[in-house]
Amino acid sequence: MKVVQPDEKVKITLKINGQTYETEVEPRRLLVHVLRDLGFTSVHIGCDTSNCGACTVIMNGKSVKSCTVLAVEADGAEILTVEGLAKDGNLHPIQEAFWEHHALQCGYCTPGMIMEAYWLLKENPNPTEEEIREGISGNLCRCTGYQNIVKAIKAAAEKLSQPQYPRQQ
Amino acid sequence: MNELSIFVYPPKFGYVIPENLNEALEFLEQHEDAKPLAGGHSLIPMLKLRIIRPSYLVEIRRLPLNYIKKEGNMYKIGALSTHYEISKAQIPLLSETASRIGDPQVRNMGTIGGSISHLDPAADYPAALIAMDAKVKITSRKGERIVDFASFAKDMFTPDINVGELVTEIQVPTFEGYKFSYQKLERRAGDFAIVGVAVLLKLSGDVVDDIRIGLTAVNRVAVRAKGAEEELLGKRINDEVIEKAATRAMESANPTSDLRGSAEYKKKMVKVLTKKAILTALKR
Repeated sequence: MKVVQPDEKVKITLKINGQTYETEVEPRRLLVHVLRDLGFTSVHIGCDTSNCGACTVIMNGKSVKSCTVLAVEADGAEILTVEGLAKDGNLHPIQEAFWEHHALQCGYCTPGMIMEAYWLLKENPNPTEEEIREGISGNLCRCTGYQNIVKAIKAAAEKLSQPQYPRQQ
Repeated sequence: MNELSIFVYPPKFGYVIPENLNEALEFLEQHEDAKPLAGGHSLIPMLKLRIIRPSYLVEIRRLPLNYIKKEGNMYKIGALSTHYEISKAQIPLLSETASRIGDPQVRNMGTIGGSISHLDPAADYPAALIAMDAKVKITSRKGERIVDFASFAKDMFTPDINVGELVTEIQVPTFEGYKFSYQKLERRAGDFAIVGVAVLLKLSGDVVDDIRIGLTAVNRVAVRAKGAEEELLGKRINDEVIEKAATRAMESANPTSDLRGSAEYKKKMVKVLTKKAILTALKR
């Protein structure tokens, strides 16, 4: 059994976008803060109360709100953020679709929206409009740009069904 | 709201990573103010709001309590099964209920054991669990005990869990051949229920053989709508008895007025949602 005292720090290892990082954290430190401190500033802090979804990342294959996960609890986890989506200078099809369909205005919710869309399309490669809306119900856009976000996710689903994307990673 | 929005960092606490369930139980037994951390989706927000200040969090998430198995006419659900996993398990009523909790990210982290140990009066599961006569397995170093969910839910935020005990399993009957529906009224997507109604219904021909109606968010704990059930049991199902049953469901609701609606409104919504739940169940 490992016991970390309130004033002690604990060493954690995270594999973020394929690369391993080691850092020391207080038990109360939140995953979102650690990710941002390591330079992954696509991970936004919006409401900080697990409502808005701006801090959504993929942890061990599932979308989570990183403001409601302790860094110490994520020890050993594989994390994917928007920074890890583009490959060889090419945007990920979801990023392309957001660009082409103008699925952002201020952009604050965008990284969270994209990561949630990533998970949604992994779960359900061909979602209906209703399923997309349900799928992003944990992500708020206060520019009220939902129409174009829904369109972009639909378009991303079509792009990802093309033969050059045999399976989303 | 100001005082709520100042503190977005949890207070200081120690952190314990046990190797196995026994170590977790031992630590919890010896530290009355330690809290087990499962999915954390009630606990971490409460820490941020400084509603609770535990000395230690005991990480139980990685313990092997994450399973859903069908044994005979029972589903045995490990306490650390997530809402997502339960929503995919095709358990009558319970899977549908799980799919209506929070939003996708919350369902990926939140666990059934955590949810019922927190026992928010507006949570979704209790409507289904009370309708299903669910049982809760509670484990301590002294052994195990199994209690009915109805007696487990002593009062709002007050489950029957003593120091050194953990909820380890939830058991529900399989309810084969039942029709079912969970209907939830929300103020906004992903919110807690304003009113939640769970219905399990068994017909033989057009006669109601068994009927179970669970209500959440309209009492301190979830209850069965006994009056409504009485109205339906043994009757031929038709619009008239459904209307009568839905009306009588209001007898079992004692909601309070809050941000989500007035008591009067919520009570009326119990009728509306009970009717909707019965009609939706019948279409299955």
